Amino acid sequence: MENTTQIVKEKKFISLVIYLHNSAPYLKFFLDTVIRTCENHFEQFEIVCVDDACQDNTVELLKEYVEERKLHVMVNVVHMSFFQGLESAMNAGRDIAIGDFVYEFDDIFVDYDEKVIMDVYYKLLEGNDIVAASSKGKMRLTSKLFYALYNKTKRGNGKIGPETFRVMSRRAINRIKSMGQYIPYRKAVYMDCGLGNATIYYDSRDVDVRVKNKTVASERTTLALDSFIYFTNVLERTSAIICGVFLMVTVFMGIYIISDFLNDNTKPVEGWLSTMGFLALGFFGVFALLTIILKYLSVMLNLIFKQQRYLVSDIEKVVKH
Amino acid sequence: MKERFDKIIIGAGLYGLYAAAFCAERGQKVLVLEYDGAPFQRATYINQARVHMGYHYPRSLTTAVKSAGYFRRFTEDFGFCIHDKFEQIYATSGKFSWTNAKQFQEFCRAAEIKCEEVAASKYFKEGMCDGAFLTEEYTYDAKILQEYYEDRLFGNSAVTFVFHARIDRIIKREEVYEIVLADGKSYETGYVLNATYASVNQIIDKVEDVSGGSGNGMSGVSDSGSPGALQQSGTRSAPGKAAAEMFQIKYELCEIILCKPSERLKGIGITVMDGPFFSIMPFGKTGLHSLTAVTFTPHITSYDSKPSFSCQSGMEGRCSPENLGNCSTCPNKPESAWPYMSHLADKYMKPEYAYTYVESLYSMKPILKSSEVDDSRPTAIRVMSANPTFVSVLSGKINTVYDLDDYLK
Repeated sequence: MENTTQIVKEKKFISLVIYLHNSAPYLKFFLDTVIRTCENHFEQFEIVCVDDACQDNTVELLKEYVEERKLHVMVNVVHMSFFQGLESAMNAGRDIAIGDFVYEFDDIFVDYDEKVIMDVYYKLLEGNDIVAASSKGKMRLTSKLFYALYNKTKRGNGKIGPETFRVMSRRAINRIKSMGQYIPYRKAVYMDCGLGNATIYYDSRDVDVRVKNKTVASERTTLALDSFIYFTNVLERTSAIICGVFLMVTVFMGIYIISDFLNDNTKPVEGWLSTMGFLALGFFGVFALLTIILKYLSVMLNLIFKQQRYLVSDIEKVVKH
Repeated sequence: MKERFDKIIIGAGLYGLYAAAFCAERGQKVLVLEYDGAPFQRATYINQARVHMGYHYPRSLTTAVKSAGYFRRFTEDFGFCIHDKFEQIYATSGKFSWTNAKQFQEFCRAAEIKCEEVAASKYFKEGMCDGAFLTEEYTYDAKILQEYYEDRLFGNSAVTFVFHARIDRIIKREEVYEIVLADGKSYETGYVLNATYASVNQIIDKVEDVSGGSGNGMSGVSDSGSPGALQQSGTRSAPGKAAAEMFQIKYELCEIILCKPSERLKGIGITVMDGPFFSIMPFGKTGLHSLTAVTFTPHITSYDSKPSFSCQSGMEGRCSPENLGNCSTCPNKPESAWPYMSHLADKYMKPEYAYTYVESLYSMKPILKSSEVDDSRPTAIRVMSANPTFVSVLSGKINTVYDLDDYLK
């Protein structure tokens, strides 16, 4: 905040894309923080709020805020038709943003110093196309596990981690757009887009106050599983291992049957039992494989055929009177 | 002594002057009352200057077909003010559009209007638009049209103009309407045409019924665009007022940006349609282009029956919910949305189609609430009373002016 009058404002047009899902308690503090920062540093910016079917009074609060503060900046709200989750909603928000540089706030809980918002911007100007801000704080065990496993099995280089918000250039957005219609997991696609990536780590504060959001959490779990399928080869490997195991079992059984056949002291009842056991196991293996193949097929169908990946009910400009 | 006229027309926009000329030709004595100092100072001049062929309404076939029907007639009657030497490109955005390329083509086929597919990559950045179409749509020059009407009407003894007219009240008597101005002047007529666009409800609200007759308020409702759309059940006016209902409209204070096109852009008009997009096209024969954007052109909105805005405070005597001033010349007009509109256009268009800022024009735009879902723009003409007659017209399109003919005879 100090020396704000001396700062020469940046000429670039900035878009702030903000994800809202039942996050009323944090809204005011968040808007205070980012708007103050942007007003101090940028000549022009816009705010795009993505209302992912908020059921509390988040959107009303937002409108009140704009009205009360007599905001100079343009505020648009993209209303999602129904709850579609962070990734789809933010894809919609990013697509409508018009800025030279676009900030994506996946979460409006502010556990960082407002200086970080500008730090990522300056880092971007150094020649990176996507710069993320990540908390140095402790990760949940599940997140840790996810990122460890993901980074180990993913195709291509570059590791991903938890991110609080990020800023990206128009060039990066265009690149991503030309890579394909569907962006199931932004972080992964951004990392793979082949342009400069960077992350700034900050010291997190008041993390304990955080209230965990149930719907978002369950949706993230599904996304985590899907991401493994989209971006890693973990299922390929698993199916290969299962295949291998059953192949070995088959070979072993083959040897057993042959040796049994060569042995004169055969007891038919016992041989029949072992054959049945083998058959049951074999079928189990076939079914396990089929499950995986089916999952694979559904994912591929998704990638190929579904074009419109999010459904927007309305784009509303928050108007002043 | 009250001066008497066959018809009094309120509003010297295109609809008002068209009606004045129409009636004068038929030997009637006409009075035109105008708030500003000259004709065509507001919506007739300050809009995209589009002569609509219907492309704009892919979700309302009735509006489209009607526009197309009047297009030919208007371009023949007013050819002198029409600029048709440019390529008008309509495009559908790949994202966020309510209409996609295929739907637009089907719509054009159904409305029987020209639609030739061209390469979207010629005009737009990669991946931004899923279809681009060469269409047939023109733009008119309001200044030339204004001169035409001034030549025709100013010297005409049948037509009297009162500029800077401040209407105090409109009194409905047994046989006549009496219009009293703030300066004490008063005029009588058997027929009032309210062609004031954004002020249409303000004028209706000034009517006082002292005729004593009851139950003879509104004798007919006509909505030539989409039948039945206007038969809403509004609240009755207070006693002593004419039993006239106001239009169910909201108001948007809109900004049109005039800009100087680059050589490449000069002969081209581009409209990315049906969604939060933009349009940049020639502004009549001025050599300039108008730039508008669905999201950024409307600055502030009023949902009241009469236009009330926060910018009116401190503007007493100039602009109020009862008497709307001219937004374009207002000292309190909003800051330009140029940074937003130009960024939106630049996000879509290739850099060679460049343009530079010249000036911003502002005007008030009333929008019928019934037309929001299908985005139709019906021409609403309402006969609020007969003998004496009071007709109100509300239309956002220049070429549906012919709808008035039936009501003026």
